[in-house]
Amino acid sequence: MELAVWVIILPLLTGFLLGISKLYFNKILFPLVMSSAIIYLYLLILVIQNSNPPKLYSIGNWGLLGINLMVDPFSSMFLLIIAILFISVIVFSMKYIKMNKHKYFIFTYLMIAGIAGMVLTADLFNLYVFLEVSSMSSYALSAFKKTDKGIEGTFKYLIMSTFGSFFILLATILTYYLTGTLNIAEVSLGFQDIPFMIKSMLMCLFVFGYVIKIGLVPMHAWLPDAYEDSPIPYNVFSSGLVMKSAIYALIRVLYIIFGIEFLSESGILNIFVYWGVITFIISHFLAFQQSNLIRLLAYSSIAQIGYIIVGLFVGSEKGLIGGSFHILNHAIMKGALFLVVGIFYYSLKSVKIEDIKEMGYKYPIISFIFVINALAIVGLPPFNGFMSKWLIVEAALESGFVYPAFFILVGTFLSLTYYLKVIIKLYTKTEEKIITKVPLALKIPTIFVGSLCIVFGIVPSLPLSLINNIPKFLLDNSEYVRILLGG
Amino acid sequence: MEILYFIVIFLFCLGIYTIISQKNLIKIVIGFTIVESSLILLLILVGYKPGGTAPILDKVYQIVVDPISQALALTSIVIGGSVTAVMLMLVIKIQKRYGTLNIDKIRKLHG
Repeated sequence: MELAVWVIILPLLTGFLLGISKLYFNKILFPLVMSSAIIYLYLLILVIQNSNPPKLYSIGNWGLLGINLMVDPFSSMFLLIIAILFISVIVFSMKYIKMNKHKYFIFTYLMIAGIAGMVLTADLFNLYVFLEVSSMSSYALSAFKKTDKGIEGTFKYLIMSTFGSFFILLATILTYYLTGTLNIAEVSLGFQDIPFMIKSMLMCLFVFGYVIKIGLVPMHAWLPDAYEDSPIPYNVFSSGLVMKSAIYALIRVLYIIFGIEFLSESGILNIFVYWGVITFIISHFLAFQQSNLIRLLAYSSIAQIGYIIVGLFVGSEKGLIGGSFHILNHAIMKGALFLVVGIFYYSLKSVKIEDIKEMGYKYPIISFIFVINALAIVGLPPFNGFMSKWLIVEAALESGFVYPAFFILVGTFLSLTYYLKVIIKLYTKTEEKIITKVPLALKIPTIFVGSLCIVFGIVPSLPLSLINNIPKFLLDNSEYVRILLGG
Repeated sequence: MEILYFIVIFLFCLGIYTIISQKNLIKIVIGFTIVESSLILLLILVGYKPGGTAPILDKVYQIVVDPISQALALTSIVIGGSVTAVMLMLVIKIQKRYGTLNIDKIRKLHG
């Protein structure tokens, strides 16, 4: 059996095993979840190591008709994010989730299976199916606490997200109608003789569908609502992986199927760069008004997505490297911030910014993690956020986008204001209050994820050795197509 | 044949209009199922050939309809069914907690 298939099968299998084990043996949860997570980590590392040059995993030797999985540097970067976040969040949720543990872990594993499938598959319809698998478990986790706000937010999320996937499905069907195939490589070859107008229309459908799932302004309204009352470990996945996997799908479709020449010819690159700028400016302002820490982080997520979009759609090699690096960095930084907020919620039962006063003295190490990750997300040296933002600014200037580069700097100051507001509250003294003691199992994963921002900031060559290969296969789709066709 | 494509376009637009214009949650869910059905119909139409049959039971056949699009249609039906189920589950929960199905009155989230 091919190695990469297990990246999808193992979480699915664990999910189903958990469902069965709930009926017969209740005690088995912890060993089953942990052993599966550790094997999965090992598996991911093996697949990532084999990703350069891109490797094709053809299942069952059916050739182009069969299911093809493709691991190139861009997908292996996503596998790296899964590897970092998954093990930490699983350890974190073991103690954090108290009710319905089985259900929680089943949905988490199904979500990971969907995301892993999305980043590995080389087939348009499978991309849609895995997108739906991950979104479906995402809805369930978002409503997991069964509070009024949680259910209302999830309903909004469900409506918007399904609305988007209709357009993705429509575009996929029309692509099949026009080219007679769903394999990404064959579609890419078949698209060469299709008229410009029809291609532009198809691209609009794909873009509209995925942009709703990503949550760019003005399609962002569902996102903070869906975050607000969902379990905090899920928020780590949601901002680090679910949103990012939609970006992955968008980039894969636009760069491989349509090709960079068509993108620059049709002007979509310019549109996306300015769209990204509008997104981060507006969401920085919205984030500033929030009194709820989770909503603040959610708006900050939308803003960082804006930076990523600017980087990825500048259309140069450096922009793609900066954007991809920022995807990785944002997943880590926002993950650490959410985990810290999870610890505060565990001990205070509140996520209002007013209520976290004096936590800086109660939990010095955890608060320090919060501070360095907040500064990293703002983009101060020597953290990793600075590295990737600098690359994006440089790429924008080199490609002649002077105003976007200027607004990235403005956005940095805007984000500094609201993160400073939180940090000041963190170190404000107040009267004694009752806090629950936090177990070590919550602190260790937080410290692990949180300290990565210093590691990647001081030694950026560590992830960049992987990321530097990304543009080679995105800017020139012929190499990807050739490998996928089996040449 | 062409009229079927127009029916698909009409159903798609009707569904989208229902989702956008209606205030009642159940009617919004109905809008979603209409769009879904139109897309499944489109999938079947894309693979259909006049006079074609499925080469499973017939011993003699000349024209074969495209099996891939039918397989895709089955998958979309499953996905659509599960999305509708999740939606209805949430509608039931909302109705129990808020006592209404009017989308304008369901507003505990703000900001």
